[in-house]
Amino acid sequence: MLPVVVVHGGAGHIPKDRAEISYVGVKEAARAAYSILRSGGSAMDAVVEAVAMLENNPVYNAGRGSVLNVKGEVEMDALVMDGRTLASGAVSAVRRVANPIRLARLVMEKTSHLCLTAEGASQFARTMGVPEVPEESMITDYARMRWKKNLDPDTNPMECQTGKMGTVGAVAVDLEGNVACATSTGGMTNKMEGRVGDTPCVGCGGYADNHIGAVSSTGHGETIMKVTLSRLILFHMEQGTYTGIYRSVEPRINEPSEATLKGGPTAGLTRQCQARGL
Amino acid sequence: MRPVIVVHGGAWAVPDALAEVSVAGVKAATRAGNVTLMRGGGALDAVEVAVRTMEDDPAFDAGHGAVLNTDGEVELDALIMEGRTLATGAVSSVRNIANPVSLARAVMEKTNHVMLSGKGANLFAESIGVPTLPTHALVCEQERKEWEQYKNYDIGVKELFRAQWAHDTVGAVALDSCGNVASATSTGGIRYKMVGRVGDSPVIGSGGYADNRSGAVSCTGHGESILKVTLARLILSHMDRGKAACEAVERSLRYMGERVQGGGGAVAVAPTGDWTACFTTERMAWAAIHGGILHYGLNPREKFKETLK
Repeated sequence: MLPVVVVHGGAGHIPKDRAEISYVGVKEAARAAYSILRSGGSAMDAVVEAVAMLENNPVYNAGRGSVLNVKGEVEMDALVMDGRTLASGAVSAVRRVANPIRLARLVMEKTSHLCLTAEGASQFARTMGVPEVPEESMITDYARMRWKKNLDPDTNPMECQTGKMGTVGAVAVDLEGNVACATSTGGMTNKMEGRVGDTPCVGCGGYADNHIGAVSSTGHGETIMKVTLSRLILFHMEQGTYTGIYRSVEPRINEPSEATLKGGPTAGLTRQCQARGL
Repeated sequence: MRPVIVVHGGAWAVPDALAEVSVAGVKAATRAGNVTLMRGGGALDAVEVAVRTMEDDPAFDAGHGAVLNTDGEVELDALIMEGRTLATGAVSSVRNIANPVSLARAVMEKTNHVMLSGKGANLFAESIGVPTLPTHALVCEQERKEWEQYKNYDIGVKELFRAQWAHDTVGAVALDSCGNVASATSTGGIRYKMVGRVGDSPVIGSGGYADNRSGAVSCTGHGESILKVTLARLILSHMDRGKAACEAVERSLRYMGERVQGGGGAVAVAPTGDWTACFTTERMAWAAIHGGILHYGLNPREKFKETLK
């Protein structure tokens, strides 16, 4: 039954003309991650690789292709978590780094902290020899177009999320039964400077625990935070409140633009991993 | 519904030299929060007032009295949450603001967001007229001297200090007469933390959580461990399943100790009025007011009482 990897490219209103490229990217990322798992690679390696590919792909709202904040800048958040040890790494509001997910992993592996933010995250990147990339190289015409459109004070903040995909993420179970999750995002278009959403918050943007499973969440960040969505899903899975993974997700989807994916750590859990966009 | 307020001044090995001021500080904060409740103020107002009182008190590592990061600067985190609507506000790594808990409340009430970080948080503060203070106004001389003394030690020694040092985050939970709960947490973090380090305090579900259906929690202790187990949310999941507040906190702290080898403490209140203050560190200054009685303690298993006049 093992290994398993599930990848998402963000929950949101995906226009028909962008549907095809959305499929292509997640399939590619899933294949690459699966290949790592099949050759004995860890769940952590797999999820980081999948998410890094999606960050490099300008179609998704993470890394290159990230939405812009109100000032027209890119500020990114990312999270990784290892289900065996509960080790975690996160960066929030980080700028000019091509792969925030890799930086989050470095926070986990090279520091005694779990999360670094803003200028501190950039400082750390420099000490790790992670190259600074020009902001221009991360901004796509599409992101810029969305930003300009939403500068109009009459635009509705919720509505302005449509037409743009959300956060990217992945969960995996490797051949040893270890789980991991990874989530990365450019956040919400036209967000305030320094706005941090659910993605880098442990238990919100993602959670992984070998005893229960792994989750990566996407959707309206502030709403996900208020219910600590990833941790909530795993509480239900732990209690066996609902049968199978699918049903654990269902009752949580009562907010607009929300979808979650997960994988369970044992052969006993159903393989019904469902992605839903609303 | 009889109101309750419970306050903590941080779970750590509070040295004898700070014992008295820490207990005095949590008692003062609890009294201040209780006055708000007695005047008909909501749980949210009460926890904000209690935490502001401790932010203004240089005995605690929050607002005034904050510790310094590795660059010798102050970076503050705070979280506030109300249990009726789950509305939340948080700031992380905000510089030189006297009352981060109030700034967190402003994020909740004046923006569409839950959390602002770094320079963005400071810009927001400026935009709503919250003044920035010079570092020396927030950091006491003793802290500056200790920081100077150790800054030349190598990374290894600094890491040791990070692991052992003060976790005196402050926090409060309350239940008001309408049955609403709220939680607030505030900190200056750990000495020599890396620039931009964000601990558990501003992270919803870890540093604190409030839900009218389950209760409110504020946590303190080893931030990284608290994050790994999403301690506040974990405690409430036990309370959701009918465990008493005390048992919920004890179980969760025990789990945190076993699974990730971290120590800490928490205050919690249930919608029924059941409340607790527990910790697995050497000490935690805490105080509570319920039914006209002020309860407080510092050392394990200590529980003193005073009747409010």
